[in-house]
Order: sequence, then C-alpha cells, then structure tokens
Amino acid sequence: MNDLAIPDFGREIAALLPFLIVAGGGLLVMVTDALVKTLRKDHLSYLVLLVLLSVIVVQTTSGTPEGPVLNGLLLLGNFSRFFTYLFVVIGVLTTIFATGIFDRDGNYRPEFYPLLLFAILGMMVLAAANDLLTVYLGLETMSLATYVLAGGVRGNAPSSEAGFKYLMLGGFSSAFFLMGVAFVYGACGGTGFDQIAAALHSGSAPMPFLTLGTGLMLVGFGFKVAMVPFHMWTPDVYDGAPAYVTGFMATAIKAAGFAILLRFVLLTEPMLAFAWYPVLTVLAVLTMSLGNIVALVQGNIKRMLAWSSIAHAGYLLLGIVAILAPALGGPEMMARAKGIVEEGGAALLFYLVGYALMNLAAFGIINVMGTEPGVDGDQISRYAGLSRRQPVAAATLAVAMLSLAGIPPMVGFMAKFYIFSVVVKAGLIPLAIIGVINSLISVYYYLRVIVVMYMHDTAEDSYQGTEWVSVAAAGLLAFLIIYLGVMPEAFHRGAEIVFRQISF
Amino acid sequence: MGEHILSWMTFFPVIGAAVIAFIPSERKEIIKTVAAAAAAVPLILAVQLFVNFDRGTAAFQFVEHYTWIKSFNIEYYMGIDGLSVPMVLLTALLSFLCIIASWNISKATKGYFALFLILEAAMIGVFCALDFFLFYLFWELMLLPMYFLIGIWGGPRREYAAIKFFLYTLAGSVLMLLAMIAFYLNVQDPNTGGHTFNMLFMMDQANHSAWLKATDIRHLLWLGLFIGFAIKVPIFPFHTWLPDAHVEAPTAVSVILAGVLLKMGTYGLLRISYPILPDAAVWFSFTLAIFGAINILYGAYCAMAQTDMKKLVAYSSISHMGYVLLGMSAMTSAGINGAVLQMFNHGTITAMMFLCVGVIYDRAHHREINGFGGLGLQMPLYTSVFSFALFAAIGLPGLSGFVSEAMIFIGVFPVYRTVAIISALGIIIGAAYVLWMLQRVFLGPKNEKYDDLPDISGREMFTLVPIGILVLLLGIYPMPVLDLMKVSLNNLIKVVAG
Repeated sequence: MNDLAIPDFGREIAALLPFLIVAGGGLLVMVTDALVKTLRKDHLSYLVLLVLLSVIVVQTTSGTPEGPVLNGLLLLGNFSRFFTYLFVVIGVLTTIFATGIFDRDGNYRPEFYPLLLFAILGMMVLAAANDLLTVYLGLETMSLATYVLAGGVRGNAPSSEAGFKYLMLGGFSSAFFLMGVAFVYGACGGTGFDQIAAALHSGSAPMPFLTLGTGLMLVGFGFKVAMVPFHMWTPDVYDGAPAYVTGFMATAIKAAGFAILLRFVLLTEPMLAFAWYPVLTVLAVLTMSLGNIVALVQGNIKRMLAWSSIAHAGYLLLGIVAILAPALGGPEMMARAKGIVEEGGAALLFYLVGYALMNLAAFGIINVMGTEPGVDGDQISRYAGLSRRQPVAAATLAVAMLSLAGIPPMVGFMAKFYIFSVVVKAGLIPLAIIGVINSLISVYYYLRVIVVMYMHDTAEDSYQGTEWVSVAAAGLLAFLIIYLGVMPEAFHRGAEIVFRQISF
Repeated sequence: MGEHILSWMTFFPVIGAAVIAFIPSERKEIIKTVAAAAAAVPLILAVQLFVNFDRGTAAFQFVEHYTWIKSFNIEYYMGIDGLSVPMVLLTALLSFLCIIASWNISKATKGYFALFLILEAAMIGVFCALDFFLFYLFWELMLLPMYFLIGIWGGPRREYAAIKFFLYTLAGSVLMLLAMIAFYLNVQDPNTGGHTFNMLFMMDQANHSAWLKATDIRHLLWLGLFIGFAIKVPIFPFHTWLPDAHVEAPTAVSVILAGVLLKMGTYGLLRISYPILPDAAVWFSFTLAIFGAINILYGAYCAMAQTDMKKLVAYSSISHMGYVLLGMSAMTSAGINGAVLQMFNHGTITAMMFLCVGVIYDRAHHREINGFGGLGLQMPLYTSVFSFALFAAIGLPGLSGFVSEAMIFIGVFPVYRTVAIISALGIIIGAAYVLWMLQRVFLGPKNEKYDDLPDISGREMFTLVPIGILVLLLGIYPMPVLDLMKVSLNNLIKVVAG
C-alpha cells in the first residue's frame, strides 16, 4: 500500500457499483422508513427486492471490470460475482419469508430490511476481499447486522438471548481474528493477500508467527462457519432467532464464511498444510460426527437443523482438507494437486449452493409453521399430519430433508458425491468412509421429520394457517433441488470455471 | 417406441405418476384406472421385448447410450442381456398385477398409486442400467417410494419397519457407493483414457489400474459390494429387516418387496461383482455356498416357528433366496442358470403366496395361522389357489419351483457335495412348514366364526391366475425363460470361471 497509484475513478465506480447499490439501498430503506409516514410498512419489502434485483441486473448486464480495485483491497472476478448472486438470491428469499410473517402477525420490524441489506453488503465484501483489513471490515459489517437481526424481536426473551450470545461470542472470535491478523502482518510485513503470498513464497516470513497468526484467524473463521469446537453458539442462536433469520444465517453466513476460508486456504496453502492440516482433519471429523450425533436427539426442528448445519460444515471442511492434502503428499501427489484443488473448489461451491437451496426450502416452511412469539411452535411433534393439512408444504419440507440427508435424486446427493469423490481422489479414503458413515447417521433424524409429517395423525394443537407466497417460494426451491440433482452438469461446470479463476 | 423401448418402460410409469398428481384426490376410480394404464404400458412393452429379444447373443440389446454428466463421465446407458431380461419381465408383470391387487386401498389413494408407479420405474431402471452411477441412482430412488409405501399404508408397527428397512438398505448402498467411487477412479476408459462408470469397461480387466489389480483390494471391494447386496437379498445375518418390513407392508408392497426387490441383491452380484471381480468371486464362492446353505436352513426353521402367515411366507423367502446363492456359488452352467431361473420363479411363486395371504387378511383382518381352521370348506376356490402356490413353493414336480431347485442342486452337487447334501434338508423342512400351515388353516372341522367369509373374488383371481399359469407352464416347459438367459449366463461363467 506504499505506492498509491492514482486510481481510475470511472473504472473503480463501475466495479464497485453492486456494492454501492446495496449500501445505498440500505440507507435509502432506512431513511424512507423514518421519513415517509404515509408509506405502508409492507412497501419497504418491495423496495428491498428492487434493490436486490437491480444488483443482479447491474452485475449481469454491465460487464463490471475484473481484477483488483481500491488499490488491491478488493479483488473482483467470477468468484466474487458468483457469491454476490448467491447472497442476493438468499436475500430475496429471506425478504419474502420475513414479509410473509410480518404480514401474518401484523407486527412489522422495519429495521429488518436495512440490516438485511447491510449484512449482504458485508458478505459481498468478504467474498471479494483481497486484504486482511477488508476481510475484517466485511466480517464485522456482516456480523453486526446479524447480531441485531437475530436478537431484534422486541419482548421475545429467546431472541434477545440469541442475539446477546451471538454478540458476545462473535466479539471474542473477532478479537481472535484481529490478533491473528496482527501476527500475520508482523510476519509478512503487509496485510494484502498479494504481499502475504509473496512473503510466503520467498520464505522470508518467520514460521512461528505465521503459524500462530493463521491459527488464530482459523479460530475466527471457524466461529463463523460453526466448526467444532467453536460451534457452541449455533444451537441457541438458531433456535432463538426467528426462522427467517435462522434460514439466512444458516445459508448466507455459512457461504460467506466458506468463501473467505477457501480464499485464505488457497493463499496460505503450503504453509497452512504443514502447520494446521492435522488439526483441520481432526476438527472436520469432529464437526461432522458431533453435529450428526447430537442432532439425533433434538426434539426441536430448529435445533436439529442447527446441529445438522454443524455437520454440514464438517462435510465442507472435508473439501478444504482435500484441497490441502496434496501439499503433504509428496511429488506424486503434487503432480495431481492442481486437479484436486480445482475439483475440490468446484465441489465446495456446488455444495454451498445446494446447501443454500435445501436449507432455505426447509426454513421457509418452518418459518410459516412457527406460531406467535413465546409459543414453542418448532417442536417436531407439531408437524404431525402436516401432509394431510398442507400437502405442498409437507412435500417441500420432505424434499429438503431428503436432500439434506443426501439421497438421490436430490441436489444434496450430488453435492456430497462431488465432495467425497474429491476426498477419495486426494487419497483420504478413511476420511471419505467417516463422511459416508456420518451421512448415514444423519438420515435417521432427517427421516424422522418425514415420519412425523406423513405417518403420524394430526395433533390437536398443530398450526393450521398458511402463507401462500412463502410456501410457493419454498416449493420452487424444492423443484430446483430436484432439478439440480438430476442435471448438475451445467452448474458444476460453471462452478469449475468460477473457481479456476482464483486458484493461485 | 421401438428405438427407446427401455426408456419408455422405465419412464412411462413416471409420466403416469405425474398425471395422477394432477387428478383431484376424490376421483379415486380415475386415479386407479390411470395407474393401471400406466403400468400396463411397460407390460405390453415387456411382451414386445420377450418377442424381439435375440436369444443367440450375449451382447447387450436395446442399448441406449447418451452422455449425461460429462465432467464425471457419467452416462445414461441402458441395455439388457439374458440376465436382466427375465427380471424386467417379472417386474413389469408383478407391478401391473399389484396395481390391480391394490384396488381396495382407500387411504390417500392418490399418493399410493403415484408412489407405486415411481417404484416401478426405479425397479425397471435398476435392471436396465449399464452405467454404475445410473444403477446406483435407480437403486436409491427405489428406496424412497418403498419407504413411504410401508410407512404410510403399512400395519401397526409400520414406522419402525419403514425406518429399519430404509436404514439397513441405505447402509448397504453406502458401501456400494464407496466401492463404486473406487472403481470409478481405477478403471480407465479405453477410448478417452479418463475415469469411467461404464460397467462394460469395468468388466474388462485390461482397463483396471495397478491399484485395482492387487488381490487384497479386490477382496475388500468384493466384500463391500457383497455386504451391500447381501442386505438386499437378504443373507443371514443381514436379514432382520425383512420380516418386519413384510409383516407391516400392505399386500401389494410385500409382493413387490419379495418378488422384485430381493432379486436385486442377487442380480447385483451377478451383474456387478461377478464380472468385474471374477477372481474374488471364485475366492469367495465356497463361503457364498455356506451362506446359501445357512439361508436355506435358517429361513426354513424360522418359517416353521411362525404363527403369522405373512411372517411365514417372509421367512420362506429367505430360505428360497438361499437356493439362488447356492446355485450362484457353484459357477457351473446348471447352477447359475438354475439360480437365475429360481430368481424368476421365486418372484412368481412368492407373489402368489403374498397375494393369497392378502386375500384372507382382507376378509378376516388377521393372519394368525392357529386362528383359522376348516377354511377349505368355507372358501374352496381360495383353498385350491393357495394350495397351488404352496405346493409350487415346496418344489412339487410339474410346477416351476421344482425345475429351478433341481437345476441348482445338479449344478452344485459336483462342486460342493457336502453343502449340497446339507442344503437339501431345506426342502424337507420347507415341505414341513408349508404342509403344517396348510393343515392348520384349511383342514379340520369348519370354523363357525368364519361362516360369512366370501370366497375369493373375480378381481383377486385376475391377479392370481396369470401368475399361476406361468408357474404351471414353466414347471412343464421352462425353456422360454431358460432360452432367454442361457447364452448370456454361459458367457458369464466363461468370464468368471475361465
């Protein structure tokens, strides 16, 4: 950052347009809500949808410039664009789900909309970050917004607890991360990814500092993606937050976390492999196993999905481990390394999208089924006989559950297949076997939801109402889950192309 | 339809299921008619297959070959040979008859028939797939409708039975998945040099990598596949899901379960394990014979102890599948031909038995063997049909079961004499439990309690008679089915035993 070049403002602005739209949109929504008294509250949701759609339009139509912008603070390209699409789509669905609930309960949370946009902005920055400082900025923008989203249901104790818990633990993890940044900065003499790469390449950086620094940063990322042992917050926060926020957290934050983790792993690959590969392997196995085993005994569907999201973080970590493995595997492995890294990255991207689809479909339905605050509407037993009361909702949730369990022809199966075949290709057959056994265990608890919906008689107090827009949106996701499960080729190919651009 | 006959057979039921999804659920008669029509088309096509199938070649016929997922070299590759043709015919026939046999289903009719048609599609797909990935996909796809059919329309303990069935089978298929990925990474496509899921390439030993040529690895992969298929057959000690699933499943689902699904285990062994790992198959053959003998005797003894008619038939299935294993283990022409013929015959005979049990269950609402007695006087027609099925099951000469069992013993005797002699005891025990049941249910003084039971109805006869005729015809003249499979199976023996 020493040699500040005169930036080409036109290019910079054009490149940053999607970010500016989201940021400006967030402010606009906030101001509109405060100033325009005559506005009906639900019109805010249209404004949000308009902002998000215009991001897609701008990104698709104008060939936004690629490469580093803002003096290398951000790196724009297919990778960041891919994640922007993902976050925006998740945002659109979250807006639909949330608005459905606001409409039903007549209880608007106008602050929800700008916060959602700010969270998305943070994620976009995170996926495009090319400097540890931008990583931190993105991380904090995203986190601060989600703390409030999770805890912002006024007068609802579980929600407040969730928000507070997330805030406290999130604060800790940010501190760890910052400490790690400090060490890495000390070791490499810079925070830019390019500078770090150069320092690592020349071998001038002192190893102890680097090891410590990257380890501390892994703690920070591990917290965001709910990696054991930094997962403690997940069940409480997922359970306490309203379902539309939980769905957003489970999909978008996980995707953002893995986006930056992937960048980070590729950046520090050889060094990280020597220092942290064994640890990451053990943690991946623990994450899957603990998540799946604890999920077996949950009676609350949101808690169950929280533990399941921990388990899925474990599968995703397997992909990360597979990417790291060749660096340790000797010359024969090194020859295949590029292929494994590319396939591993593509598999991870595919998994994140598939995971977002199925989790959003599930939370979309759970969101509709939840009752007023204070009433525990998320007990699985309340879903009894849902297939007879609301066949579309039940079928959607069933598809989501089967996909999460990894049963063909759903996208969850293809996603797991891609990940596990990369793991096998990297020579980690025992890990693949553990992963497969884990996904076998998981089938039991996912199926239990289906059993309750389809095979139990209707319980007395089950919720009877319905929100057609949400159910239709979730149903569309269920269709996509099956479609991508049968026709994964085009999408997987796309993920490969996206990934190939960033692998350095 | 001529070009893509296998695809039509596989996917026409899916179209039927999609149509059913749009029929209002109150219009039950229309739903049933559509279902019957959708299942009739594969049956008609099956007849066409039977007529046009070239019996003189071991090559795959009616082949359809398209690229599907290019980056993993996964293909939509369908084709049939002498091993799969009898199974496809059996599936099409039983599925159609089972739809007719399900006419009484009143609970959620729409879902039942839609799922049944999807099940049929998946079953036919399994028997036609020549790409390992496609095979696996159909194999798994079959699980879902089966799970729902047992779990929603089953008996009192349906939930337990459905989950148990699902987890057992999935555990097996997961092992298969791992073996599949191992094959994929270690078999070279001779045309492109890349990895491949193509089963035909996998069968050619020249395409195997050095890793895959190591004996230990081959044995390990064989065991993985074997356990996967053994759960489906089911082979002792992996059989415990079967009695539960059968007892709880509705009649037609039991028929499919015993008539078609069990065959997939042995079909998988013959289609995948034998030709891809022939040396491991030889290495394992004696153990397989022992497993066969255990299945025969254990299944028969358990059947004898049952007081629930359906459970008895379920255990008899375990026993009869033991003969298939025994025949396969011998690797002689008579043995393997007998085994595949037994797969077909058991499919028809056990279907008759389950349908007959369903008939009495519909009327008396229980299946306790000791609760009946004297039914022969009350329901003479039913008694004769059921007796016919039971005699076929014990291998009465003149009925189809005899032919295949005799062939199996002829094939096994020169290879594993002691095992064959011990297994032959199973025939005696089989006769014992069947006749004992016959005596307790149909003979004896007339039971007042059942005075108002009507005899078997026309619709029920319609489902039983075609199978009965088949059993009788194949008992007298088995060549129509043997001709279909002879060439392919003898070729398989040449591949395996050299």
